[in-house]
Amino acid sequence: MAHQAHAYHMVDPSPWPLTGAIAALLMTSGLAIWFHFHSTTLMTLGLILLLLTMYQWWRDIIREGTFQGHHTPPVQKGLRYGMILFITSEVFFFLGFFWAFYHSSLAPTPELGGCWPPTGITPLDPFEVPLLNTAVLLASGVTVTWAHHSIMEGERKQAIQSLALTILLGLYFTALQAMEYYEAPFTIADGVYGSTFFVATGFHGLHVIIGSSFLAVCLLRQIQYHFTSEHHFGFEAAAWYWHFVDVVWLFLYVSIYWWGS
Amino acid sequence: MAEDIQQKLEKYRTAPFDARFPNQNQTRNCWQNYLDYHRCQKALDAKGVDTAPCDWYKRVYKSLCPLSWIEKWDTQREDGTFPGKI
Repeated sequence: MAHQAHAYHMVDPSPWPLTGAIAALLMTSGLAIWFHFHSTTLMTLGLILLLLTMYQWWRDIIREGTFQGHHTPPVQKGLRYGMILFITSEVFFFLGFFWAFYHSSLAPTPELGGCWPPTGITPLDPFEVPLLNTAVLLASGVTVTWAHHSIMEGERKQAIQSLALTILLGLYFTALQAMEYYEAPFTIADGVYGSTFFVATGFHGLHVIIGSSFLAVCLLRQIQYHFTSEHHFGFEAAAWYWHFVDVVWLFLYVSIYWWGS
Repeated sequence: MAEDIQQKLEKYRTAPFDARFPNQNQTRNCWQNYLDYHRCQKALDAKGVDTAPCDWYKRVYKSLCPLSWIEKWDTQREDGTFPGKI
């Protein structure tokens, strides 16, 4: 019987990269078809394929790591690098939208009235719901850290409680933002103010939803005894992502909500 | 610099260098003088004083601004949709 003479993980052939690529193709071309021919079939198909790909690919990673022991320390190190690099790329993604915001708000054009907020825009009061949202996300940063320590200390019940609380706070943020979006006196179509506001906060909200989902998967895994006090990288990755989402919010709050009002 | 505004207006050829707007893009120069003229008019009218000093700003913006901008802004002021604060 042949054994590997190294600690690395030579992954078995998998169809999910291909299905993922096909999903990307179907979603992008589907988007174009939707724009020009009013049909959402292709895009929906792509979306379903994407969801199936994500579910099965990540399920396989959990099988390989948690159940088959392939995630040795060097393998875990590689996964850490991967998550850090991914989050870094997301930082640059948001940096672009902050650039756009500052470009337009630091030198407001005559069309806007030469002022920021532009003439006719009533910005949201930064000390109302946005401040509550800040408190909610900061609190969720505390609870996710509590969850991490609970996992490291083998406190199963506390880990489950604090992780669940983190997710609830994330959902509370999402609900509050949804209400703010509904009640806002301006829309995405209201000039560059609307564009910068809703694109930046909108992508942030999407990342909150993604982060909450990632944490929810971790909660399910914690309940099913996947994590040990020494080895719980999936949780750590989710926690890093969650902190990143929190930090982006802080920048959004200070720049767009507070300074921008 | 004891010239009065009348002498300055008589000597006027074109918009002088304004250190507030040193670069090639003079949009803000045009915009600021357009605003300053109309603000000056409004303020001096309210006090019941002769608005002749305001004409300096008018000369400057007339020199600098594209005619289409002036027409657009004048129309906006009439319609009540001018975005600037006068």
